[in-house]
Amino acid sequence: MHSEPIEYEKPASLREFESIYAAKAEDAKILSGGTDLHVLIKEKLLAPRLLIDISDLPELRGISYDPVRGVTIMAGTKIAEIERSPLVKEHAPALAFAAANLGSNQVRWMATMAGNICHASPAAETPPVLLAHDCELLIARQGGERTLPISRFFLSYRKTALETGEYVKAFRLPPLPARAAVSYRFKGLRKAMEIDMLNIGAYLELGEDGTSVNEVRLAMGSVGPVTYRAVVTEQKLKGMRIGEEFFAAACDGVVQEATPIDDVRASAQYRNRVIGVLTRRALEECLHRIGERRG
Amino acid sequence: MSKRDFDVIGKGVTRKDGPKKVKGEHEFADDLQFPMMLHGRIKRSDIGHGRIVRIDTSRAEALTGVKAVLIGAETPIKYGIVPQMPTEYALAHEKVRFYGEPVAAVAAVDAETAEQALDLIEIEYEALPVYTTPEEAMAEGAVKIHADNRFPGNIAYEADQNFGDVDEAFRNSHYVLEKTFKTSYVNHAFMEPHCAVSKFDTNGELFIWSTTQVPHYLHRHLSKVLQMEMNRIHVKVTGVGGAFGGKGEVSNNELISALLARKAGRPVKVLYSRKDVFLQHRGRHPIEMRVKVGVDKDGMITAIDYDGTMDGGSYGGWGLVILFYTAAMLHLPYDVKNVRFNARRIYTNKPTCGAMRGLGGVQPRFALESLLDQIAIDIGMNPYELKKRNAIGLSHETVSGQVVRHCEFRKCLDQAVELSGYKEKHGKLPFGKGIGLAGGYYISGTAYTLYMAYKPHSSAMIRVDNESGVTVYCGATDIGQGSDTVLGMMAAEKFGLPFESVHVVSGDTSLAPFDLGTFASRVTVAAGSAVCKAADNIMEKIMPVAAIQLGVRPGQLEARNGKIFSVFEPGKEIDFWKVVEKYIDAHGPLTATGDYTPPRRTGNFKGANIGHSPTYGFSAQCTEVDIDTETGEVRIVRVTEAGDCGQPINPVSVEGQVEGSIVMGMGQALFEEIKVGKDGRLLNPSLHDYKIPTMADVPELRTTFVDSYDPDSPFGAKEAGEGPIQPVIPAIFNAVYDAIGVRFTEMPITPEKVLQALDAKKKQEGKGR
Ligand SMILES: Cc1cc2nc3c(=O)[nH]c(=O)nc-3n(C[C@H](O)[C@H](O)[C@H](O)COP(=O)(O)OP(=O)(O)OC[C@H]3O[C@@H](n4cnc5c(N)ncnc54)[C@H](O)[C@@H]3O)c2cc1C
Repeated sequence: MHSEPIEYEKPASLREFESIYAAKAEDAKILSGGTDLHVLIKEKLLAPRLLIDISDLPELRGISYDPVRGVTIMAGTKIAEIERSPLVKEHAPALAFAAANLGSNQVRWMATMAGNICHASPAAETPPVLLAHDCELLIARQGGERTLPISRFFLSYRKTALETGEYVKAFRLPPLPARAAVSYRFKGLRKAMEIDMLNIGAYLELGEDGTSVNEVRLAMGSVGPVTYRAVVTEQKLKGMRIGEEFFAAACDGVVQEATPIDDVRASAQYRNRVIGVLTRRALEECLHRIGERRG
Repeated sequence: MSKRDFDVIGKGVTRKDGPKKVKGEHEFADDLQFPMMLHGRIKRSDIGHGRIVRIDTSRAEALTGVKAVLIGAETPIKYGIVPQMPTEYALAHEKVRFYGEPVAAVAAVDAETAEQALDLIEIEYEALPVYTTPEEAMAEGAVKIHADNRFPGNIAYEADQNFGDVDEAFRNSHYVLEKTFKTSYVNHAFMEPHCAVSKFDTNGELFIWSTTQVPHYLHRHLSKVLQMEMNRIHVKVTGVGGAFGGKGEVSNNELISALLARKAGRPVKVLYSRKDVFLQHRGRHPIEMRVKVGVDKDGMITAIDYDGTMDGGSYGGWGLVILFYTAAMLHLPYDVKNVRFNARRIYTNKPTCGAMRGLGGVQPRFALESLLDQIAIDIGMNPYELKKRNAIGLSHETVSGQVVRHCEFRKCLDQAVELSGYKEKHGKLPFGKGIGLAGGYYISGTAYTLYMAYKPHSSAMIRVDNESGVTVYCGATDIGQGSDTVLGMMAAEKFGLPFESVHVVSGDTSLAPFDLGTFASRVTVAAGSAVCKAADNIMEKIMPVAAIQLGVRPGQLEARNGKIFSVFEPGKEIDFWKVVEKYIDAHGPLTATGDYTPPRRTGNFKGANIGHSPTYGFSAQCTEVDIDTETGEVRIVRVTEAGDCGQPINPVSVEGQVEGSIVMGMGQALFEEIKVGKDGRLLNPSLHDYKIPTMADVPELRTTFVDSYDPDSPFGAKEAGEGPIQPVIPAIFNAVYDAIGVRFTEMPITPEKVLQALDAKKKQEGKGR
């Protein structure tokens, strides 16, 4: 690790940012809210030579909705804006809820969702909901863009699929089908300012009969090196009918697929046990929301 | 002094520091800036126990911007808050005793340079075994952490006290219950980290601004460690952003800032990071206590037997005093005739434990209130009934000779039980929901002093004149609890003036006369008495002047609403300030002093002089919990508190103390625990990983007072700062028992422990069938 002072640049436009980043990506770190990055630098876990501050780039701010493409959230949007957005509350209420439970109000007015996923902590607040929504990421670099489903974004502990020179530009949450809903459940020791011991995002889509299960997504946090989906269980649940058997299968499946470890926050044993409880509660909440949506 | 209709007391005033704090105008130590001021940072050990073989500071000294580097060998003078038992150095000398101990310090032009310089200091150690538990430290053949310690092994101090005949009492008991309890390693987590700024003037006098509870103790220590005459040292307390005992002894940063300032010849600020705060620590002692309580068939307590091992951490600190406080705290608020106390404080290689809100009381209270709850249930009595029967009456003398001159504890029990519906709820709520009751008390001042002298514990001076109004000078320190407000209110009431017109100058060794400091919930009673006496002395000077003006006898006069008037002929009145003017014209400056020393008490056993108090505060709490039996989460729904703090001087301040106590106790009951690695390293020294309750966790709080007035106290007041935390933890534990039938004996009750206990219980019940 070097001990020279860190350089700082604050580009005024997205274009300027892309060109600086293209030239210096190897040594640089993107600075959004800094609520993860500054902590790592202060703790001497990271020593970038250059910080490129994108926190005020107007092109990276904003939330919009389109009936075909769903909700689009630009990468630099503050968590607090997501929490309060009427569009998010209407089309992705679980995301608004997760956003509202990230850190404190002060942190939420600094932090961004891009920072949350790029930090790639398995305990982070928004990844389970984004995975449950099967969110699509818009990833960009100077002179190019690509899209990537978020299910392929987290590679390992604090490692993402971003290539050198790439950055996250936007999130797209596809519109929910009529009989579908997403929910989010988490467990921390206290009620706020918590790094979760466990969290889960659930997506439930019912068939026209209102009882058969078309599709389920279960995204678990803090039970492995990254936030990930219980894909085997999801397959098993497909086609089942809502009822005790379904819930039991979901809980058992999730426990099977969870690979938690002991750490300062909780033991593996505890996590294994409670992830099932949270799964059931999350799915019940999805059902409740579907009921509400249909009036 | 008798109870009456007050104009200021009990009315609730706006604290003068309130709006200033809200607007960021109140000055804290870190706000201070001086020309040429340097920033000091501390190099800390990265081993848990070892000898210092070599320190090389040359590279640090060579770094541009570094103005002074200091090591322990330059300041080899031992100090300690208990002067007879000094154990500490400003910087480790010859040996380090915990992971993160200060070893060297740097003053540089800015904090970044100072931090960079720390990395350039090379230290070589010869490692010694690290003991992170009393068990390891007491094992056969363990290395002595303090070579000159006069007790065997790593025992810092031992105590035993025995009153009555405990064994005989147990033999004659109807029911005896014994359990072992464990409390955890917790920190105060006050908001403002320690900060001190030291500055030597051209004449070589030292001025130090610090966030401390004990400016006069700091004064004495600075004189010792810097080897300077006390009259050349000026200690000034800045705003204090919470302390709770953690700033109740001298902190390394204070000494280091002064030593660096002297060496560099420039002012030096040493501000702690949160991690530094955890390393300075002085938090609550973890105690493993085996406690046994017996009762007769009516539920009357026959005897208490206590055996406790305190984990003291690496240095002495307040430990010795706390050990004996713990002994004293077994005797109340119940009437107990037979008490045995055996305990020891053990040195371990961890940050030092010390004074923390309710010290000496919280741990034994946890054990005793839990045991009494269980005993009541076991013998088929309502816990309230059992506690009420044993509660002391209006006044009391314990078998250890502590004299309680005033007590309304029974009213506290009644009121908390009544308001919470405890009797209707206890034992009757659905599984997962529960209610728990606990009582508590605390000293309201201490008869014990670390000064081997008869000087008053508190003193005050009041100056009244037509230019500056009323100024109260008092050595007491406002650490956020609001003592400046309370002392100002007392003076205002005495003079019949509005609170706003009284100025309080406190926490400054150059300006204000001596006071022991802010601890032992002593300030309202002790400093309050001194201020009241000084005010009475002022009135004694001006009443004759008013009497002559009005042509009445001084004894008929009263001061109220800015006037002095005859109680018999209220028409005969004169403006207060007119009288002051006349007095000064005739006699010169109008000043007076007052002082206070609590009654001295002792006995003929070891530690007999510790634990006595002029008066005591009492409280009872009923706490309701709701447990998620699937995730193990314990949620506190409501706390109903009834407190006997005497006459509340500023009721809002009392409520603040009570609510703060409840939240603090709740954190310790449910969340808080400093985790220590095998090598002695702290694993969670940040407020991110060390979990204190947030506002979102705070339950519904119902804070009430019982009707109370201690006629021997200033305006009838007692304490509210440390008593209310006493019942918090056992009330929660008792509520958890009521909810799920599990008797926890170890803090904190985490969701994991709840699930494990529920499993074990299920297994047990399965077997039973
Ligand atoms: C007190 C406190 C409480 C917290 N509580 C929580 C909590 O409850 N839950 C939770 O999940 N997190 C929590 N966090 C962590 C943190 O706030 C979040 O992860 C936050 O979303 C990070 O966003 P940021 O904009 O501040 O990221 P930054 O710190 O600016 O960046 C984080 C990482 O992402 C990279 N990055 C940022 N933006 C982009 C981009 N557009 N493209 C590519 N890379 C990018 C940065 O280079 C860096 O590596 C907390 C933090 C603090 C300080």
